[in-house]
Amino acid sequence: MHETDIHDLSDDADYAAASKQGSSSMTRTDSSKQRSSNDPKDAEIVYLKDNVTIHPTQYAAERISGRLKLVKQGSSLFMTWIPYKGQSSNTRLSARDKNLYTIRALPFSDIQSIRRHTPTIGWQYVIVVSSGLAFPPLYFYSGGVREFLATIKQHVLIVRSSEDANLFLVNNFQDPLQRTLSSLELPGSLANRTPSSLGSPSDGNLENNHILEDGQLRSVQQNNKQRQKSHDPARDISIQVLEKFSLVTRFARETTSQLFRESLVDGHGPTEKRRTNWASKDHQSQEMVSNDVEIVPKRVHVPSDPLEFDKLSLVWGQPRQHPLGLQEWSSFLDSEGRIVDPDALKKRIFYGGVEHNLRKEVWTFLLGYYSYDSTYAEREYVVSVKRSEYETIKTQWQSISPEQAKRFTKFRERKGLIDKDVVRTDRSLSFYEGDDNANVRHMHDILLTYSFYNFDLGYCQGMSDLLSPILFILKDESEAFWCFVSLLERLGPNFNRDQSGMHSQLFALSKLVELLDSPLHNYFKQNDCLNYFFCFRWILIQFKREFENEKTLRLWEVLWTHYPSEHLHLYICIAILKRHRSKIMGEQMDFDTLLKFINELSGQIDLDPVLREAEALCVYAGENGAASIPPGTPPSLPIQDSSMYHQQDDEVL
Amino acid sequence: MATIGHNNLNAKLVLLGDMGAGKSSLVLRFVKGQFLEFQESTIGAAFFSQTLAVNDATVKFEIWDTAGQERYHSLAPMYYRGAAAAIIVYDITSADSFTRAKKWVQELQKQGNPNMVMALAGNKADLEEKRKVTAEEARAYADENGLFFMETSAKTAANVNDVFHEIAKRLPRAQPTQNPAGMVLVDRPAEGARAASCCS
Repeated sequence: MHETDIHDLSDDADYAAASKQGSSSMTRTDSSKQRSSNDPKDAEIVYLKDNVTIHPTQYAAERISGRLKLVKQGSSLFMTWIPYKGQSSNTRLSARDKNLYTIRALPFSDIQSIRRHTPTIGWQYVIVVSSGLAFPPLYFYSGGVREFLATIKQHVLIVRSSEDANLFLVNNFQDPLQRTLSSLELPGSLANRTPSSLGSPSDGNLENNHILEDGQLRSVQQNNKQRQKSHDPARDISIQVLEKFSLVTRFARETTSQLFRESLVDGHGPTEKRRTNWASKDHQSQEMVSNDVEIVPKRVHVPSDPLEFDKLSLVWGQPRQHPLGLQEWSSFLDSEGRIVDPDALKKRIFYGGVEHNLRKEVWTFLLGYYSYDSTYAEREYVVSVKRSEYETIKTQWQSISPEQAKRFTKFRERKGLIDKDVVRTDRSLSFYEGDDNANVRHMHDILLTYSFYNFDLGYCQGMSDLLSPILFILKDESEAFWCFVSLLERLGPNFNRDQSGMHSQLFALSKLVELLDSPLHNYFKQNDCLNYFFCFRWILIQFKREFENEKTLRLWEVLWTHYPSEHLHLYICIAILKRHRSKIMGEQMDFDTLLKFINELSGQIDLDPVLREAEALCVYAGENGAASIPPGTPPSLPIQDSSMYHQQDDEVL
Repeated sequence: MATIGHNNLNAKLVLLGDMGAGKSSLVLRFVKGQFLEFQESTIGAAFFSQTLAVNDATVKFEIWDTAGQERYHSLAPMYYRGAAAAIIVYDITSADSFTRAKKWVQELQKQGNPNMVMALAGNKADLEEKRKVTAEEARAYADENGLFFMETSAKTAANVNDVFHEIAKRLPRAQPTQNPAGMVLVDRPAEGARAASCCS
């Protein structure tokens, strides 16, 4: 029987290998170019200069003047340059053109260098290089370059290049906390050139051509190997420099400068060489803004994490709290048992989870088995109605006689699949261990009943993983069944035969990585890893195999709050990947190695920091992040709402 | 460089077969020497590597262990594409799993690398009392289709390393003689019969 109906998800028909398109559909499209760009809040203006002007063309009439500001927010310094409105009389420059040049809240962690130019005739100007791109020269019509640099020096680490007195290398290693962070896994001290994934779309090219990277010794060695393969003598000197740099991963910038100077003794420093390289590559010239602009030496160029420093300027994932306890839980309920403020509850659970003995009660709300505005009495009623409904569905398969089963292949097959899986699901937990364990039977019965309740979807490997913790908490067959039903309202598409639910999530993941870590994205692209299948298990069963039981329970209740995003699980993927990005790229992992590496992270992931990072990433990605996730991507509810679950608010904050 | 004594080979190997047939258990037995009575199901795929010395060469197997359920069939080509070898696993106590194994063989014959070394492994050979598929039937099928056949038990370790060794021996060498692929295929049934004899 060959059924092509989209609703037929049964297991017995031979299914032609379908999704060849799958991976190829996940090609890169242009990333969002905008950084969400409002002036930072709670910011202090530490420098302000009017009449700072750019010369987009040689025509004086087309110069654009504006106001340059340095803004301090928290420990981070930002630069803004906003053109004046309506100041220009010429018609050739539209507001849009002007807007094009606007610099909004450029974080200094993105800035690599600032070069000061003092022409014999005319104004002093500076060229700021960020993420490998030079902004147009900023001409200081009213002076103030020195003050500009002095102000920067007060707030971020800025070092005058030993090779060029007019070149100032910017780093952001002032904050001791940053140092600590950087010593964990960051690329090292040269990571001042944090490319901005949210910046210019051409970042990627730079990354591709110059994965010279810094910090990590391993990465350097790898690159070194590649370099040698390329037999490009021009690069060899860069390699030596890189090797030296690699030794200073954790040292402060001064050391780096010194090494840099040493490698330049013979006058054939990387600047020269790289300039040659760049010219030979087809790098159009964002850096060559005008004739009198030199290419600012961009020394070792590591695909460092674009957010590594920025994150300190974010609310960096609030500290995890203690789990919600009984007393506090009671405060969320009115006298009849309604949850007065479900959003506040969800937020609370997001930040701390739920005490174990409260889970049975709270999970039923989170999963949508109870509605938040139900009373104690209503819930009692729901339980009894649902219990008899469950028994009715269960009877459907229980009443199948052996004779009938002989003629009912699909039933036999499904039962066979479930039989095989329940006996190997979480058997090491005491709840499921031992021969003839009643809970294993409950799991079996729930899954088989579900495969009748949702005959189209049936049973699929992975479902037992999703059910096991729910049954472990609910302990009641009917309630666990209905909670499982609720969960699969959202996660059912993970098991679609055409893998559409998984593909949409993996696709969204690739878009988000592109947005939040373009060097890593580019790495995956170059290494044919863009299908993100190495994250398949994470997503299919919500990290169930990655954490020990207690952590899984915590993670799930956090995810089910759908705060701050329904798709927090994707940000969790990114948070984990980012923690290992240097290793992944440094060791040049191919798809196989990566899959093995990812699978072996099981049991090694520290949940709380990952949650905080995921939250921060989610907040950071903001609307751009939300826009990267196609509508209807699980665990979003399908478009046609089922009446049972509509009470669940899908807030995206 | 290619002296006979230094013949190092990397070989991608994929395990296919019905769910619960014991694919992961075979790999874990081979790679880690472990056996779990309740080996959890494989979600997505798992990757392992293990190196074997065969005669004067070493073969590094890069092993893809796949999810068995039909539902995940569409992912399989991603894993068997480019594989030098495949072990198709069935459970001797399940006739259905043998049927499924034949389907995998057909698919590989159609879609896979034409020079792929294929092994048919009848696993759970320790469960003799529950046997549903006879060794004769499976061997006959293997011979017809150019596979070599062994019955294995991941639980007792019987024949597990042997399957991988036999595959290693059959892999075309890094500097292959100019044998056309067809000739290699012709050789296989005979060798397969010999190999199968090591299985009781």
